[in-house]
Amino acid sequence: MSEPAAASRAPARDAGGAGTGLLLLAPALLMVTALFLYPLGYSLTGAFRGVDGAWTLANFTKSFELYSRDIGFTVAIIGLSTLLIAFFSIAIGGYLTLGENRTAVVILRWLYRWPLFIPFIVAGQLMRAFLARNGMLNNTLMAMGVLDPADAPSLLDWRGIVIAFVWKQTPFVALLVAGAMATLDRSTIEAARNLGAGRLRILIEIVVPQVRQTLVVGLVLSFVTMMSVLSVPLMINAQSPTMITVDMAFRINAYGDYGVANALGFLSCALTGAVAWIYLRHGIRERGRQ
Amino acid sequence: MRSASLDVERVAIRYGATPVLHDVSLTVAPGQFVALLGASGCGKTSLLRAISGFVRVASGRITVSGEDITNLPPERRDMAMVFQSYALWPHMTVAGNIGYGLKLRRVNRAGRAKRIAEVLRLLGLDGLADRPVTELSGGQRQRVALGRALAINPRILLLDEPLSNLDARIRQTVRHEIKALQKELGITAVHVTHDREEAMVMADRIAVMNAGRIVQFGTPAGVYNRPNSAFVATFLGADNVVALDAHSDEQTVRIAAATDHDAATLHRANGAGAGVHLVETLNGSAQAHFRAASARLIGAGDAAPDALVLRGRIAQCSYPGGVFRYAIAVGSQQFMVDDARERVPGEAVGIAVPAQALHIFPASGHA
Repeated sequence: MSEPAAASRAPARDAGGAGTGLLLLAPALLMVTALFLYPLGYSLTGAFRGVDGAWTLANFTKSFELYSRDIGFTVAIIGLSTLLIAFFSIAIGGYLTLGENRTAVVILRWLYRWPLFIPFIVAGQLMRAFLARNGMLNNTLMAMGVLDPADAPSLLDWRGIVIAFVWKQTPFVALLVAGAMATLDRSTIEAARNLGAGRLRILIEIVVPQVRQTLVVGLVLSFVTMMSVLSVPLMINAQSPTMITVDMAFRINAYGDYGVANALGFLSCALTGAVAWIYLRHGIRERGRQ
Repeated sequence: MRSASLDVERVAIRYGATPVLHDVSLTVAPGQFVALLGASGCGKTSLLRAISGFVRVASGRITVSGEDITNLPPERRDMAMVFQSYALWPHMTVAGNIGYGLKLRRVNRAGRAKRIAEVLRLLGLDGLADRPVTELSGGQRQRVALGRALAINPRILLLDEPLSNLDARIRQTVRHEIKALQKELGITAVHVTHDREEAMVMADRIAVMNAGRIVQFGTPAGVYNRPNSAFVATFLGADNVVALDAHSDEQTVRIAAATDHDAATLHRANGAGAGVHLVETLNGSAQAHFRAASARLIGAGDAAPDALVLRGRIAQCSYPGGVFRYAIAVGSQQFMVDDARERVPGEAVGIAVPAQALHIFPASGHA
């Protein structure tokens, strides 16, 4: 075959390939549009429509009037949980990478993943049994004589939600972080030890900076997951203030008020969107550096 | 720079049930550069890691200037290691990498900046202080790794095959640079390598290792010209091996004729006198080792005085530069010989190996 003939044929084949590719993708695209994009768009625009169908910001005004404390509460709880998850997952990953007691490392590796396989609703239930005034935690502390029965607190409030979130999400982030740490060039760790760095210092100054991108990805995904959990706040802390997922369920179930529920949903989306934006920007910067 | 002596006394290492180092002893004088030379798996890296503290010793003692460091963790041994992969921290700049050890030693910012500048100048890396290490070439990275180790004025510098990731041309240059720096600073150094030439060029003393033991320890010229075993001879390039029937006395080595070589009576090396190198008296079956570069080709019918002559044909010819390299088929064996004259494959020739180029060991001593 002469070269010009080959050249002229190549674009035709590419065009055909693109056509076939689109055809193959069409069912998936259709499903995503019909089952995800359309309902999402519908509920997002629904946040800006009144009961009469006219454009309005009334839903947002009402949301802020009724639930501004809950919005702050949600952001604070999830922000705090994210920080704690970062702390614990670095600690777990760090011990798995730098720990010298092999037995402890093996036990920790086997143990830390268990919460991953437990659904949020079961985690909520477990926490109720564990953290209530007459729950397992207080009973154990009282039996040990550490706690006076008269002072036994119930942790079934914001603290319970944070504990449940951290307990449930830490293994997920730790799994990612420990994986990234395991793939590091061990000699970068040894080089620091060789120059005189202790293990905590190595973790903070050598290991974590090298797995930062993975850590951020894990935390962003965790943040988004926690934003969408209804069962845990509902089971642990259904009083006021509570999280906006509970408020959304309440507006719909009790009042059929889709407008305010959509407005609260819009705010959740805006929050997770902001976090996702940080993540994407971070990713682009890292790639640019490489 | 503080010079320290290093003593390794009967150190053994086991990985699980597998012994990798058998009662190895080694003494490095202050300011000396010692190379641990051996093939993969001979235990040279394990020995270096035991010295640096990354591998626990099963028995034995390691001391630095008399201080027992056998059970100290790596971070408290005050040594600096240059790793094969450089092990630079990719999230730091050149200055960050070089200054890290100083930061750990609580040197203040001004002191660090001064020392970093000194090290950069010493290594010819001026102007690269703020460059991320990921933007450097292989040779530059290697220098930063060396600078990071030197910045803290370590008692002992450990080099774990630091040149094996560089391309051949840069390797030649860096070799001499490291050696010159080490001499200038007077620092005690232990260098692991599998490259004979690198060990010869850089080290004051070479420890040749095999199967978890140091099999010979001496100056480069000593181990090169006076290998104490067939293994060392082969490893140091005397890898043409011919089986002989040989008998020796105080003065001479008598070699009986065989199908592939002539009979010969050769001088035996005595003190400074040149001749065949023996480690023990020969009394029958033996193996002679010689290097391609120290033999020469002669005509098929020619004789050579005070030399062992093998008879064969040229099987192959190549020109690596300077001299021609011939593969000579002698019986069922092939020998490599360098010769300045160009000859054609198929030609019948003799290989003349001068007495002083021969290292003969009893055949039972084959390693």
